[in-house]
Amino acid sequence: MRHRFYVLRSAFRVRTYLLFLFFLVLVLSPGLCGGEWRQAEGPRQWSFPRDHGSHSEYRTEWWYFTGNLADAAGKKYGYQLTFFRYGLTGRPRNPGNPWSVRDIYLAHFAITDASNNSFHYTDRASRKGPGLAGAAERKMDVTLLGWSAIMEKNTIRLKASFEGMELKLDLIPAKPAVLHGRGGLSKKGPLPGQASYYYSFTDLKTTGYLKRPGMKEAVGVSGTSWFDQEFGSNQLTGDQAGWDWFALHLGDGRDLMIYKLRKKDLSVEKESSGTLVEPGGTSRQISLSDIQIDVLGHWKSQKTKGKYPAGWRIRIPSARIDVTVKPLIPDQELANTVSAGITYWEGAVGGTGTSKGKSVKTEGYVELTGYAGTIGGTF
Amino acid sequence: MKRVIRSFLRYLVRRRSLAVLQLLGIAFGVAAAVGMTLASRSALESMEGAVDFLKGTATHTIARPAGPMEEGALAKIMGDPAVRFFAPVIDRKVRLTSGDQVRLLGLDPFLDRNVRSITAQIASSANSTGRDDAFQPFMLDPRTILVDENVAKTADIKAGQDLMTLQGPLRVVEVFANASGEPLVIMDIGHAQEFFRMAGYIDRADLVVTDEEGFRSRWSQGFTIESNRQKAQTLSSLLGAFKLNLEALSLLALFVGIFLIYNTAMFTVVSRRRDAGILLSIGASRGQVTVAFLVEVLILGITGGALGGIMGYFLSKFLVQIVGGTISSLYFFLRPSALPWTFWNVAGGILLGCAAGIVGSLPPLLELRRVQPVLVLRGRTASRSASRKMKIIGTVGLLCLALSLSLFLLSFLNVYIGFAGAFAFLLAASLFAGFAIVVAVPCLKRLFSCAMGLAGKVAIGNIRENLGRTSVAVAAFMIALSMSIGLSSMIDSFRHSLIWWMNGQLRGEAYISTKADVTVPEEAYEELKRVPGIGGIDVFRNVQISFRGKPAGITSIDAAVLQKWAQFSWLEGSDRSWDNVRRGDVIVSESFSLRFKVKMGDAITIDTARGPATLRIAGVYYDYASEHGVIMIDRSFYLTLFNDRTINSLGVFIDAPGPEKGRTLEKVRELSQKYGLPFATREQFHKRILGIFDSTFAVTRSMRIIAVIVAFFGIAGALMTLFVERQKEFGIYRALGFTTGDVAKITVAESIGLGLISFLMSTVVGTIFAYILIRVINRQSFNWTIFYHLTAQPYLVTFLTAVAASIAACAYPLWSVIRKYPVMQIREE
Repeated sequence: MRHRFYVLRSAFRVRTYLLFLFFLVLVLSPGLCGGEWRQAEGPRQWSFPRDHGSHSEYRTEWWYFTGNLADAAGKKYGYQLTFFRYGLTGRPRNPGNPWSVRDIYLAHFAITDASNNSFHYTDRASRKGPGLAGAAERKMDVTLLGWSAIMEKNTIRLKASFEGMELKLDLIPAKPAVLHGRGGLSKKGPLPGQASYYYSFTDLKTTGYLKRPGMKEAVGVSGTSWFDQEFGSNQLTGDQAGWDWFALHLGDGRDLMIYKLRKKDLSVEKESSGTLVEPGGTSRQISLSDIQIDVLGHWKSQKTKGKYPAGWRIRIPSARIDVTVKPLIPDQELANTVSAGITYWEGAVGGTGTSKGKSVKTEGYVELTGYAGTIGGTF
Repeated sequence: MKRVIRSFLRYLVRRRSLAVLQLLGIAFGVAAAVGMTLASRSALESMEGAVDFLKGTATHTIARPAGPMEEGALAKIMGDPAVRFFAPVIDRKVRLTSGDQVRLLGLDPFLDRNVRSITAQIASSANSTGRDDAFQPFMLDPRTILVDENVAKTADIKAGQDLMTLQGPLRVVEVFANASGEPLVIMDIGHAQEFFRMAGYIDRADLVVTDEEGFRSRWSQGFTIESNRQKAQTLSSLLGAFKLNLEALSLLALFVGIFLIYNTAMFTVVSRRRDAGILLSIGASRGQVTVAFLVEVLILGITGGALGGIMGYFLSKFLVQIVGGTISSLYFFLRPSALPWTFWNVAGGILLGCAAGIVGSLPPLLELRRVQPVLVLRGRTASRSASRKMKIIGTVGLLCLALSLSLFLLSFLNVYIGFAGAFAFLLAASLFAGFAIVVAVPCLKRLFSCAMGLAGKVAIGNIRENLGRTSVAVAAFMIALSMSIGLSSMIDSFRHSLIWWMNGQLRGEAYISTKADVTVPEEAYEELKRVPGIGGIDVFRNVQISFRGKPAGITSIDAAVLQKWAQFSWLEGSDRSWDNVRRGDVIVSESFSLRFKVKMGDAITIDTARGPATLRIAGVYYDYASEHGVIMIDRSFYLTLFNDRTINSLGVFIDAPGPEKGRTLEKVRELSQKYGLPFATREQFHKRILGIFDSTFAVTRSMRIIAVIVAFFGIAGALMTLFVERQKEFGIYRALGFTTGDVAKITVAESIGLGLISFLMSTVVGTIFAYILIRVINRQSFNWTIFYHLTAQPYLVTFLTAVAASIAACAYPLWSVIRKYPVMQIREE
């Protein structure tokens, strides 16, 4: 399969880094300098399916799935399943002992049921141990305590379940992988090494089963998923307060990713940008100056007292995009997870608008961090 | 009415010394009962608390029937649909260089935080204190640990310092709060595997299971699944005998305490007969006098009870320490903390003081209501009517004795029936106190008149004359002394049986580690085999298993070695039974045979890693190692059945002549040092076992001190009362020309006489009590035979106690005599 890669500037997905930062600062603490880890510097010779696998020479890595699904009756669902790998040390002290720690694996799992106005989430963490977790080097095969994302031929199989929540999906890429940044090197700061390698499947045809607590049986679902994989060894600088991230599928087959990094001084990070993927799979970067986002409303979390934006009008004049999206349900906040108190909002959204002058339906996922107080402090 | 009560209360102030004595009598009685009860409760709650603390939210545990479990099982457990959470655990002991043993838990912080709040707390405390650098070393450095505040305090260490163990230093990265009293050390599970040389294995997994039935159906083969309820039951039956011991001691303390209060209240009423007579003759009604008496007793009961409640609280603090020592040496290392102070200590004390006081004052009050005021005015009950009363008391005593005998016959039903029988026996014995005085007086009279002349004769006569008072004092004192003799004789007999058992079973020249200590790595065993001069090594492994739903032990040994070197004592079977053990049969301990009602030739079925296995019993041997019962099996068969290669200890038999022997022993010592294992020669090993034995009975021994205090107040109260109510007689003595010295002699002789009679009676009662403890109570609660062994020491100690207590008890009356006798007159004549 021939991939066509568009070199994009920026759009480094900092969101997951922040999750790690939390884990680092609150639980593990960064004790090791980057010395023993390989840095994300210079262009990379990509090779799939090998690069769907783990890159353990880099300190952090994640496989990030979100998707908008519907059952036969037309009821709308959203899901998030994310696997993280964090290298605690490059050289495990006793490689013969599976408990001897090298990497820590974490995962977050969430289901949104719009018709039922319910949102469920859970998470877990483990070291490799004797068959408890791990990520293969040669292909996408990442598992954590029974949850897994495994790619066989051209299909990614997702599996996760916990206490009435269940997910069993097959994901088939409809568009080739999109390399972000320069040849997949996504810079996140001015200094060398302040970067990561980053690619996405923005359009994955999805079928399978889903169950949320309260359902007697799993329901058959289908829809579209989004996948990001990213790896690197460096951490962000400390002046960011949080970010808003949008991954939208437009009805005409275009996919739009935007991320806006908010700084503590309330300004927006200049590196913030977006990526537009055309139905054929070609993509181009959209600079910050070309993006207009108006917040249409807010939602306040009773749990954490965080006040989140809850409705946006997004305009990309150069791409003739003008869409309005809002959360399928207001409360899609992940609060106080096992990963030491990370709180963020990650939820399914939907709306309408126009693309190239035609009216389109829009669905996707939005991630909002730094609104519940804790994230800003850690930066 | 008010006037009558006031006149009574005025008396309390006037006779301050007597009132204080009575108050203290009640207070000590209450303190003994409250102290022991609180101490037992503290200890038991601490144990349960420690277990709860470690349990977390786990609902079940899964383990191999014996020995560690392959870590590969975790991935399968993880995939089981009924398992919500699982957490692997390595649960072992580590010996500090100070000699203390602490529990070391190997945990995985990621998996464990779903089950135990303790691991979640550790992580959060790491960041809340700003010491972010605690967790990373814990995960990455092999010899790093978290210790709880108990360990930190005992070892006087803090984060950053080393905890010194026999297996080398362990670096403390964090000290965490621990609500339970059990000292804990936590290590990462991977490091713990390496530390204990058990790569690839864990001890168990703690689980949160949602569908128990489904889970059990999938995992029953080769694994032991235990729910928390079962675990609690196991623990409670494990601790059963110990709990019973504490309960028995509480009851005993309560019994003695009530006896003392009863005794004191009785004296209070008896010593006031004359005042009551006066009040009656000047027109007070019997009802008024009775109420006045009750008010007085209640005032004493309330103040004494409150004081006793406070004293009991402090006593419990002391007793808890002793009880904690016993728990640590027998079950698991625990420093139980005393229960916090509550108002209920005082309330309970007051209730006890008043209730026992009223019961004690009832007989004399009832009598008071019947007799003529004129008779009452004489001050004392006539001895003739007392002897009639004695007949009634004797009859009641015989009934009590009959009751106790029938209870003993029924004691096989429940050990508590045995206890009830023992108390009934003591009660019966106390009722014969008056009888004992009547019997003993003629002999004593001769003895005392020889030793002290007329004063001695008069004194003994007084004891006989004031039977109503003296019999109660003798009863209280005698019970206290009997308990002392009984408990001491039982302990001495037990100790003697234990030594006999050790000399037969534990005949190795040296022992490396012990059952309850650190495990012995197999390479140490292999290396030991190559040491020249060794005639045999007994490879000892003991694990707790569940047999017919109850905890029991399985011990694997080298039958060939024991057959050659040890000398077991057999209830059933003989040394030839070893031949069968070498062929795959088992032998069981006496307690196992009694608990599970099995005998030689029977077949028993146990759960093993390969499923159920049926084994034939080739013999039953005497054993004091575990009251839960032990199945002894040859190591080769144990390895096949349980696939558990763990070694708890090695018994080394040396087959070398004189000087060679010393060299071999030295080599064995060096080897155990090399592996960081505790080493003990046979003498040291035996001494250590006796040390544990002695600490086990430390609480029981401390009960004797309480008994002595009770005895002291019993005698002192009796003497004081006699002195107070015999003012008139003292006048006569004076008129007859008795000097102060003579009367002082009389007082001392009375006191020693009472002590002596009590002691003589207690030698009989105490010996029978010891026999009851050995044959009924011990056999019921521990299921083993103790051989009665007569030693002079308990009797000698008790005799000295009796004399010392009687002399101490007469100190105050003597002082009163010396102070008041010279100014006494026969005012009424």
